[in-house]
Amino acid sequence: MNRKVWHISLIPACLLVLPTPAFAIQLHTGNAGIIAHQIGHLFFLFAMVALMFTINSQGLIRQKGWRQIQYGALFFIFWNLDTLVAHFLDNQIEVVRIETLSISKMAIVTQSDSQLLAVIYYFLKMDHLWCVPAMIFLFMGLDNLLKAQRQGGKGAGQ
Amino acid sequence: MTANLPILLVDVLGSVIMVVLGVLSLFKAKSLRDLDPDNVVFLYLIWICAGFTIFAVSRSFSHILRQFLVLTGSGDIWSSIGPFTGAVNTITFMLVGTVTLFFNQSWRINEKVLSAKQKHQETSAKLLELNQTLEHKVVERTEMLTSSEHKARRIFEHSLDTIVVTDPAFVIAEINQAGVELTGYRKSDILDNQMGLKDFLAVRSEREKILGLLETDEYILNEEADFLRADQSCVRVLITGGVDYGAFGCGKTFHFIIKNINDKKQMEQQIAQADKLAALGELSAGVAHEINNPLGIILGYTQLMLKQPGDHEEDLKTIEKHVKNCKIVVSDLLTFARKGSTKMQSIDVCKVVDDVINFLANHSDFRNVEVIPPQPCTRPLTVFGNEQELAQVIINLMINACHAVEKKGCILVVTGQDDQDQILITIKDNGTGIRKKDFSRIFDPFFTTKPVGQGTGLGLSVGYGIIRRHGGDITVRNRKDKGAAFTISLPKARSPQDTLDREET
Repeated sequence: MNRKVWHISLIPACLLVLPTPAFAIQLHTGNAGIIAHQIGHLFFLFAMVALMFTINSQGLIRQKGWRQIQYGALFFIFWNLDTLVAHFLDNQIEVVRIETLSISKMAIVTQSDSQLLAVIYYFLKMDHLWCVPAMIFLFMGLDNLLKAQRQGGKGAGQ
Repeated sequence: MTANLPILLVDVLGSVIMVVLGVLSLFKAKSLRDLDPDNVVFLYLIWICAGFTIFAVSRSFSHILRQFLVLTGSGDIWSSIGPFTGAVNTITFMLVGTVTLFFNQSWRINEKVLSAKQKHQETSAKLLELNQTLEHKVVERTEMLTSSEHKARRIFEHSLDTIVVTDPAFVIAEINQAGVELTGYRKSDILDNQMGLKDFLAVRSEREKILGLLETDEYILNEEADFLRADQSCVRVLITGGVDYGAFGCGKTFHFIIKNINDKKQMEQQIAQADKLAALGELSAGVAHEINNPLGIILGYTQLMLKQPGDHEEDLKTIEKHVKNCKIVVSDLLTFARKGSTKMQSIDVCKVVDDVINFLANHSDFRNVEVIPPQPCTRPLTVFGNEQELAQVIINLMINACHAVEKKGCILVVTGQDDQDQILITIKDNGTGIRKKDFSRIFDPFFTTKPVGQGTGLGLSVGYGIIRRHGGDITVRNRKDKGAAFTISLPKARSPQDTLDREET
């Protein structure tokens, strides 16, 4: 028994004494962060699509609360699309850049001085116009579910 | 150059609103969860709202911070912390997305939980209904059982016939009040001393027969027997009984119904006696009628011959004496057979009894006999009948009593009235009493216990006939201490008018 333990304990000792390159850790470039972020948005978008379909398939759309939650999911889909495009333009392909001049002035610098791209990017930057309504619908949906539940009807989880 | 203010306002205000809405949504989800803690979907909503709130806080913080740092010219700082806030944001909305993906599973789990809950509620409702039905049935059956038990108990307790329950060895386990009265024992004595049915069957042959039948057939039907009471007297009873193998673990028992038929038997005996006397009366009347005429001729010729003195005067006197005796016997027989003439009228029993006692006081046989007369009557004891016949019956009974005390005892005469408006005349003596075997024959014509030549055996039978014709009865019993007691019972004359009416008819 003691002999076996002795033999096993020799393995880490050999590894320390005789090191070789492992190549196990891969080097990440600076784009990995934005790619991960974009995948996150896509994942979020997919989850919202799944939520919409589930609400639909379960017949919950007939209930006001769940219908409003579905609207919220739809706005989050739009928000994700908005942010995906915006991040693609400024972080991934870097064709657009903002230069803040003052509290009231800024310059949208495009690679080819495209005015259309600048305008699109300007509105894309106001992504709260999607996510705030999404949260409002979520809140309203929950509020209606709560009311239905208090009335004893099948408006919530039933 | 573009206006920065709209983007700035939308960014900052939107961030703040997001946080507020996130917190409010979380609060709503929690309220839902509080209403129904078992609901999996509400738990899911808490999770998703928590995710959105975290996402909103993280995102809003980074956006506001970025605007602040850029506007204050600290863009370098933002460049260094921007990746961190971006990473946090990425994690939070991936968290929200992950949680959202579980909505379908959460919903299905919740449906299963709700389905199971509904089934549980339905099962509980059915169980409750069954339980209530069962309780209702139990109450109903208990009421029926109580009612049935009450009826059975009332029948048992209030039955005028004796009801006895015994064990297989015929030891009494239960007896009703009628049974207690029949036996003359206390109920506790019967049960504590483990008295058995056989202890009450006086006659051995009857006892063996009844027990034998019970052993073989396990029932008896209308078996007559002498029932021995606590005071050692016997009453005639009719016993019916059978076995009960019991139910619900009860042991084998025997149930008996014992009917007291003593009075009925006595009545039957009296009817038989009356029938016998009636038949004898008819026979006697015929015989007396046939003998009376030759006797009259013999007596007439004898008395005619006596008027002519001769050698056979003594012989003729002997003939005359015995013929006269024969005529008395014949007259008695005719009286017994209702052939004599009677005048019915209202009679004061007290006066008749006093006359008889005064008359017998001068009789030589009563010289050493103490005759105790009845108490003076406080009210008239009037009956409807023939005074001479009634006096004859009382005289007969007094003479019999005198013979019973052998002319040196005590005779007690009692008069009175019972509850049924019957006038009673009782003649008691302290003589030898009547032997048990003679009771059934005492009123038979020509039955006498006196030596030959001293009694005709017609006194009591004639007296019985007279009293029966008056609508009354004569009963006899031996006294507890010594002697016998004869009681004449006659119906009381209801009113003077009633008496008058009956006299006319």
